[in-house]
Amino acid sequence: MKKNPKVNEVNEFLEIASDFEDPLEVIRESLSNAYDANASTIEIEIRSREMGSDIIIDDDGDGMTLRDLESFFDLGNSRKTDSIGYKGHGTKIFYKSDRIVVNTASDEANLRAEMDEPWKKLNQRELPQYEVTETPVRKGNSGTRIRIRNFRSGQGFDPESLTYNKIEHYLKWKTIAGSTAYLFDDEDREMNITVKLGDEIDDSRSKLETTTRFEFPEEQLDPDTSSEFPAERMCKHYEPTEVEVEHDGGTATLQIVGMVGGKAARNELPTYGKHSAQFGVWLAKDHIKVERLNEAISHDNEFLHFFFVVNCQDIELSANRESIRNKSSSVYQRLTEEAEYYLSKVTQDPWFKEYLEVRRDAEIKRRARNRRSSLKERRERVESGQSLDPTNRTEVLLALERFNGKSDASTIIVEDFEPSADVHAIVRQGGKLRNAAVHHSLTDHFEDDLTFEEVNLIICWEYGDPTTLREYERTGYLGGEIEFQLESNGLVYEDDGQSFIEILCLNQESDEVTRQAVISD
Amino acid sequence: MTSVSSLTDYNITRERYDDYVSQPVKERDLFSPFSGALFIDSGGFKFLSSKELDGSNFQIEIDQKKVYEIQQKMGADIIVNLDRPIAPDDTHKQRIEKAQQTGANIAKFLELSSDFHGARYLTLHGYNYSMMDEFLTEITRYTSAETLRSAFDGIALGSLVPKKDDRNALIDAVIDCRAVLKDWGFKELPLHVLGISSRAIPLLVALGVDTFDSSTYLQTAINGGYCTSLMETVDVSEANPEQCDCPVCSSEHLKEWMRGNAPYQKDMLGAVAMHNLIVQKRAIFEIRDRVRRGETEPLIEYIESTVAQDKPTRDHAHRVVNHSLGGYF
Repeated sequence: MKKNPKVNEVNEFLEIASDFEDPLEVIRESLSNAYDANASTIEIEIRSREMGSDIIIDDDGDGMTLRDLESFFDLGNSRKTDSIGYKGHGTKIFYKSDRIVVNTASDEANLRAEMDEPWKKLNQRELPQYEVTETPVRKGNSGTRIRIRNFRSGQGFDPESLTYNKIEHYLKWKTIAGSTAYLFDDEDREMNITVKLGDEIDDSRSKLETTTRFEFPEEQLDPDTSSEFPAERMCKHYEPTEVEVEHDGGTATLQIVGMVGGKAARNELPTYGKHSAQFGVWLAKDHIKVERLNEAISHDNEFLHFFFVVNCQDIELSANRESIRNKSSSVYQRLTEEAEYYLSKVTQDPWFKEYLEVRRDAEIKRRARNRRSSLKERRERVESGQSLDPTNRTEVLLALERFNGKSDASTIIVEDFEPSADVHAIVRQGGKLRNAAVHHSLTDHFEDDLTFEEVNLIICWEYGDPTTLREYERTGYLGGEIEFQLESNGLVYEDDGQSFIEILCLNQESDEVTRQAVISD
Repeated sequence: MTSVSSLTDYNITRERYDDYVSQPVKERDLFSPFSGALFIDSGGFKFLSSKELDGSNFQIEIDQKKVYEIQQKMGADIIVNLDRPIAPDDTHKQRIEKAQQTGANIAKFLELSSDFHGARYLTLHGYNYSMMDEFLTEITRYTSAETLRSAFDGIALGSLVPKKDDRNALIDAVIDCRAVLKDWGFKELPLHVLGISSRAIPLLVALGVDTFDSSTYLQTAINGGYCTSLMETVDVSEANPEQCDCPVCSSEHLKEWMRGNAPYQKDMLGAVAMHNLIVQKRAIFEIRDRVRRGETEPLIEYIESTVAQDKPTRDHAHRVVNHSLGGYF
């Protein structure tokens, strides 16, 4: 007995509509559909409503026939074969609403379709129906208007998250509005796009107008020598290149175009979010960017400087067009190899090397300038009479040299210094060699877990937190008893035997305060 | 191509040595009908540690005079002065001393070889422009630049063997060498790179190197490597000589030898080395043919289909095309 596998239609609709997470995808799908319908203009209007968003999409394309309308509502039943929306999934995003009305005029028919409460019904496990009415055709006035009521945009279309800027960036990076097709095809159609947001969403301007062409920032091959950031506006275009690749399943064509540029040049592009999320190498289908392949740029080069689009019609996309699904295919393998090969030519372009060098040189100069200003501050501090404030062992020994000049005690000469050893320095005092631990604070000796074996002298800039020292006196240290005798410039440590370690505190000013604090305990 | 210092590589006896130098190579029946040019280097790099040719039962003290005498006896067509190659960890002082020793040798070499009928190549040492410029400054204390320009027929860039695996350093050195030669008025002279060949050949050619040498074909064989192309080597036990139409692989008994059925190990390796040499030479003929076409495109195509296919050398290939062959963009 032969049986046909069954499909749970309601679940499939729910699944596909839910796959589209970003409400902005409604814009992407509308643009693709209008472009596929040969529209020269499209207008999208979004208004915020209590339960969602009202969206109106108007285009002057070929309009839909009854069969097209069926495809619009059906799942996976697209009539398109070589166009962007060939899967028949995209428009199902509209099902996430309370009402869909399509008015469309083609040369064959003037149709109106209405679907009520599609989202509610799907969630009640009911397949929503739509009603089509036909009115007489008026020639020469084709186009489609789609009205969606209470589209469940979540928070995506809230005034807090949606702005004209965000839409523009989205259009250029994620939709046909960011197409690079015109660079390869002289006869590429241009479509004018208008997006209007209700004032309640963004009242900063009345509308956004753009086209389906991604424009690169103007080329600037030479550095701006007058700027502190001379490479920042440098930009080079890499002309459109078509590469044929052979793979197990046949031949595929890659269309590669791109630019390399500094931050200022890149900022002239609409950047949706951070540069790190936008730049690098994009794989595209229908000249719409899908996924990045930054590993095509050798690891010693930062991908941020690059913006390349590698278009290939042989890649296959997931239902929501957000990712490539035939990554295990030989065509994908060859396409990534070829992209990597091409990018190696770019990274070895002498201009690119010069660009990196200009950047690097400028960075070094800026750093030197910063160092100069910090040097200036240091000189000012010295001139104002502020004393040296050591922060590390070497500086403590520098302070020791100064201390030698001021102190009545016998001079201490550093004969050997090895900061990574337990005994940091060997010093000569009164003709004798002594083993010294050198610390900024006396407390550091304990924090570093250093013993007192072999140490005769601790040279420190200050005693540090007296309560810390008191705690060691109270609880012991490394299994032994410790007593600070700061008035005698030393400490007594008692473990197997008793030993006195001399302490030389170089900062005489803080000395008294700390000493008093410890003694008074 | 051989070098004076290689004569005793196999611990030969005095008698064998005397035989080597008793008759010019090209006059020997053994080498008939060889009619190519014979380039005999001094092999200065081997005389750094000892100034002697060490055989099994004899030693010969080596100086410029002795080197030239051997080069002549062997019937060289192209000869090189005795030089003192530099090493990457040499101090500046050591490099200057070596340049001065080489400078003195050059003066002697020119004096000795004034009636030499073949071509004379001047050795040049350094890893970058400044080092080579300084080398030339030092040697011109012994022989004027003008004399060098008129007396020498070519330049031999040396000391690069320790850098052979650092392709970027190699490319830098050759690019700088050409710049230094231009500035010193040696631009018209052919450029030889000593001791580097094999997979670097296409890049060296693209950078304007005219000739090169090395014994990698032999070293590869000694390590059990059988070249399937200029770029690829397989273990000789996995080699398929049936796919090669070189004279070695077309001979039944040499094929047997390569499979290990040889009287001695050297016979097996000898056959593999000869095969490897033929593979390299064929690649060089192919490259030469492409260069002769006078356009960069055939050479770029060659580099793209060989060096650029290998990921580790791809960037170097693209760098060289961008630098010396008109570039991609």
